[in-house]
Amino acid sequence: MALFAVLQTTFLLVLLPLGTYQRKVSSEPLPLTPESLKVSINSTCQCLNLQWSVHNLPYHQELQIIVQIQISRIKTSNVVWVGNYSTTVKRNQVLHWSWESELPLECATHFVRIRSVMDDAKFPELKSWSKWSSWEEVDVQDSLGHDTFFLFPKDKLVEEGSNVTFCYISRSNQNNISCYLEGIQVHVEQLAPNVSTFHLSRVPFVRPKGTNIFCDVTQGEDPKGTILYVSKVLEELKDFSCETRDLKTLNCTWDPGSDTALEIQPSQSYTLFESFSQKKKVCKHRNWCTWQVSQDSQEMYHFTLMAENYLRKRTVHLVFKLTHRVRPMTPLNFFLENINSTNATMTWKVHPIGNSTFLCQVELHHDGQIIQNKVFMEMNGKYLLSEMEPDTHYLARVRCAYGNHFWKWSEWIGRKFTTLEAAPLAALDVWRNVKSVPGGYNVTLFWKPLSKFHANGKIRFYNIAVENLDKPSQFNLSILAPSNNTALILHKYSYQIRVTASNSMGTSPASVIVISGDLGDKDIEEERVKGTEDGFSLSWKPQSGDAIGYVVEWCDHPQDPLCGLQWKKLGPNTTSTVITSDAFRPGVRYNFRIYEVSTKWIASLLEKKTGYSQELAPSDNPKVAMGSLTSHSFTLSWKDYSTESQPGFIRGYYVYLKSRMEQCTSGFERTVLSDAPANCEHKIDNPEQKTFTVENLQPASSYEVFVTPYTSTSKGPNGTFTKVTTPDEYTHMLIRIILPMILCILFITIVCYFKIQWMKEKCYPDIPDPYKSSVLSLIKSKENTHLTIMNLKDCIPDAIEVVNKPEGSKTQPLGIGKSLTETEFTKPATYLYLLPTEENPSDPGPCVCFENFTYNQAASDLGSCGHIPVPPDAPPSQLGLLNSPENLLKTLEKDYTNTLGEISAGETSLNYVSQLASPMPGDKDSLPTDPPVPAQCSEYKMQMAVPLGRASSPPSEDSSLSSIALLDQGEHYR
Amino acid sequence: MDLRAGDSWGLLACLCTVLWHLPAVPALNRTGDPGPGPSIQKTYDLTRYLEHQLRSLAGTYLNYLGPPFNEPDFNPPRLGAETLPRATVDPDVWRSLNDKLRLTQNYEAYSHLLCYLRGLNRQAATAELRRSLAHFCTSLQGLLGSIAGVMAALGYPLPQPLPGTEPTWAPGPAHSNFLQKMDDFWLLKELQTWLWRSAKDFNRLKKKMQPSAAAVTLRLEAHGF
Repeated sequence: MALFAVLQTTFLLVLLPLGTYQRKVSSEPLPLTPESLKVSINSTCQCLNLQWSVHNLPYHQELQIIVQIQISRIKTSNVVWVGNYSTTVKRNQVLHWSWESELPLECATHFVRIRSVMDDAKFPELKSWSKWSSWEEVDVQDSLGHDTFFLFPKDKLVEEGSNVTFCYISRSNQNNISCYLEGIQVHVEQLAPNVSTFHLSRVPFVRPKGTNIFCDVTQGEDPKGTILYVSKVLEELKDFSCETRDLKTLNCTWDPGSDTALEIQPSQSYTLFESFSQKKKVCKHRNWCTWQVSQDSQEMYHFTLMAENYLRKRTVHLVFKLTHRVRPMTPLNFFLENINSTNATMTWKVHPIGNSTFLCQVELHHDGQIIQNKVFMEMNGKYLLSEMEPDTHYLARVRCAYGNHFWKWSEWIGRKFTTLEAAPLAALDVWRNVKSVPGGYNVTLFWKPLSKFHANGKIRFYNIAVENLDKPSQFNLSILAPSNNTALILHKYSYQIRVTASNSMGTSPASVIVISGDLGDKDIEEERVKGTEDGFSLSWKPQSGDAIGYVVEWCDHPQDPLCGLQWKKLGPNTTSTVITSDAFRPGVRYNFRIYEVSTKWIASLLEKKTGYSQELAPSDNPKVAMGSLTSHSFTLSWKDYSTESQPGFIRGYYVYLKSRMEQCTSGFERTVLSDAPANCEHKIDNPEQKTFTVENLQPASSYEVFVTPYTSTSKGPNGTFTKVTTPDEYTHMLIRIILPMILCILFITIVCYFKIQWMKEKCYPDIPDPYKSSVLSLIKSKENTHLTIMNLKDCIPDAIEVVNKPEGSKTQPLGIGKSLTETEFTKPATYLYLLPTEENPSDPGPCVCFENFTYNQAASDLGSCGHIPVPPDAPPSQLGLLNSPENLLKTLEKDYTNTLGEISAGETSLNYVSQLASPMPGDKDSLPTDPPVPAQCSEYKMQMAVPLGRASSPPSEDSSLSSIALLDQGEHYR
Repeated sequence: MDLRAGDSWGLLACLCTVLWHLPAVPALNRTGDPGPGPSIQKTYDLTRYLEHQLRSLAGTYLNYLGPPFNEPDFNPPRLGAETLPRATVDPDVWRSLNDKLRLTQNYEAYSHLLCYLRGLNRQAATAELRRSLAHFCTSLQGLLGSIAGVMAALGYPLPQPLPGTEPTWAPGPAHSNFLQKMDDFWLLKELQTWLWRSAKDFNRLKKKMQPSAAAVTLRLEAHGF
């Protein structure tokens, strides 16, 4: 144990000095330790610039070392970047290195330290890191000034798509600060108590004046801002090329790309550098630059084009031999000579380049198409253009290239020209339309204008020579172009017509047509053909066998009056063709006539065809007339319906019938198609059958009927049904009876109307008017001036007739004193004679009395209107007051009006007493002596209503003769 | 019209009074010279025209500067742009200005503003903007000449620029481009305010010159007697 302690102490004593030595060695600076580290800030590039030296290098030779750099932010422990920097170093050499900070350096304190290590295999003993230098602090915040707010970086220039970090230092309140990028607020993060940052990613180019970033610090202060200049990225140089036109000057061009100019950065500059000659030229233009070819016969050139702005450089290289980049100048003195209808000569000159030959290319254009193209070695600058068409516009041009080595063609030089005209090449295509008129024909000639190829120029006029083949004679016509038809009136002979076209250089071959004296119109049946979208396929059978051709004729617009006549000429061996036309429209019927042209140029009609390029449904339905209506049938008729004007061949008709019956009538079938307008239909297959009788109907039933045509395509349009109601079974019988009866009555009525006078005379003759009586004329003719018509006032009553009904006595008021009538009640009537009737009371007086029994049935029962005798003992005193007719009338009127209201209905009846005219007052004295014949005085003169009730009352002095009729001597007629 | 002896003496006295005061009216001091009235009117009209022209130009230029300068509600307090002549003035001070001082201030202000505006034109990146600025500078030069004409008509000397005080438009190294844009903004704004103020100034001058016209009328009436 003691021994162990001694050994331990000895060991420690040995180690202690060793450890002391070790410490001594380590305290000395190692040879590669960086010294004199200085760190500064470059605000423009946001760079930390480091500068140091290595004093204690053990060797004097240059050594390869690696320097490790550590950068911390805010505090030393917050290392933000560590990196190595490899360089060579000599003793006491000052080294420089720079680091670009993402965060603006003004916003945070940065710390830097470095160490190094030998990177050389010859000195393995120095293969360990030196000591770190001490931390070097960089802080510029104190040197910013006295402002309270700073925003960094200032006016930074970056490329489009870069990421940029901004920071601000606010020495006042941090909370109220908002920052904006082009007016849009950005998100801010706090980095330190008074430092905040915000980051912009992939910044775009906005404007040359820069992108504005500003912060609202506090109210009442200027906005603090900065500008971020975002440059477009300098593009790669494209299409860099150099060439010479004269071996003296090189012209280099390139595609410059977009301009990267900003307020703080000019447009990119372009510099041309030639390696062989080591010459350099700054280009003034953005996309081209000239270079003087050196006089020392330099053949090879190596150009470097460099584009440069503040942020980037681009270069592109081009190596070439000068003679391989020759593009001759545009030929000059270009002329076209000896131009005729098919040929022309072109001449030109080329700018000479030494003794070189040139390759030239000639082109001839027409309507934008290359007609001729020729490349040849240019000998004399001349070329003959041939095989051109007359009267045609052309463009001739030439260009040349360097003959020794082809690089590029020169620009074209050329001219437009027109060849001269030539005589028309081909005969006109002529056709005719012949219409027979009295005494001759109307011949209309049509021709198609010659194609440009055949016309060989502008056709000025058409010549028509008409030769009479029967009677040798001829006449000529000239029609000015561009007319394409003319009309001729010819006699009924055969004519040969020759048509030619003329331009300024000549006339075309003639086209011949012969119009035969006999048109030979044949009744040829029209055949139907089916057209397609591609046209009409027509075929025919040759007739004569020696035809020189066939002509198919049709109208493009058959509905137009001008019709648009078209024709197609075919060879003799052709018996079919397809007729096509852009004018063909669906639903239009086209008629084709096929003619055979004989060897004598006479065209005769061979066949007729008709058809539609596409059949359509009928455009309208027939107007159907109804007839023969019976209780079991009716007939439909549509004879006015034209099948020819329809947009398709009418194949037949459908008759539709609607009824309330579930079963269709016989002849009709039940339809199952949903588009059928009714459930019962009858199909008529014959388009010419335009009547149809619907039979087996129910009497007194309603039906609806509709007729529509159909083509191969479809039926006609939907229309309205016609309503039909079948009559009752007996109706027609009734009609057979009632109608004749009505006719008979009508006949009788008419007969009666025309014979009414006769009827009147026979059945109810007119009551004669005494004033109009023929007696008057008789009287006058006898010149008996004393005879005249009696006036009422001249009529002196001579009798009173008291009329009373037998039952009237029952209602007679009692208590009235006996009067002269009391004794007369047993008699039917009593007459009072007021005038003396000594001679014969029964003689007829001058007046005749009628009783109108229409008003008094009771009175009529009396059966007579004769004078009823009045008792002769009637006191005349009672009558004396009535001697004067005036008094009597007054009394009567007064009494009548008084008594009318007193008579109750049923108790009384009226008895009208008519009075004939009495003799004139002047004849009063002579009346008794010469009374008039009763027959001559048989008219009504006046009627008076006499109340019967009162008639039976005894007359008093006041009311005397209220029921008395005033009568003169005369007769009563019934 | 019958005149009594008393009336004739009164009229004569009136006429004499008018004739006595005629030489005191500046407008009548020059025979056949219409005076500064038409010049003032023309200057006023030119000011209004420039106001209209500036509205269009400022819109284009502020868009060229970008937000926030082209935003309608951007109205920062003017703290920088110290070299620009201020148009705003206390109303009482403005009213108390005499004609000479009023015209001198106008002339000096537009001299400076024109110079700054030419600097603006040199920096403009687009050709269209350069054309517009050049056109406006020409018009402003015309206004300056017009003011000089009015001053000459009224007999006021033109202010002489002090040597070495010629305004320049070269931003110092510490002057950030953002502040430069602020200066551009203030230049346009100050120009607008000056044109508005000038319209007021020349309207006031115009009214002030009107009594001379009244005097002319009076003289003519007197001559008619």
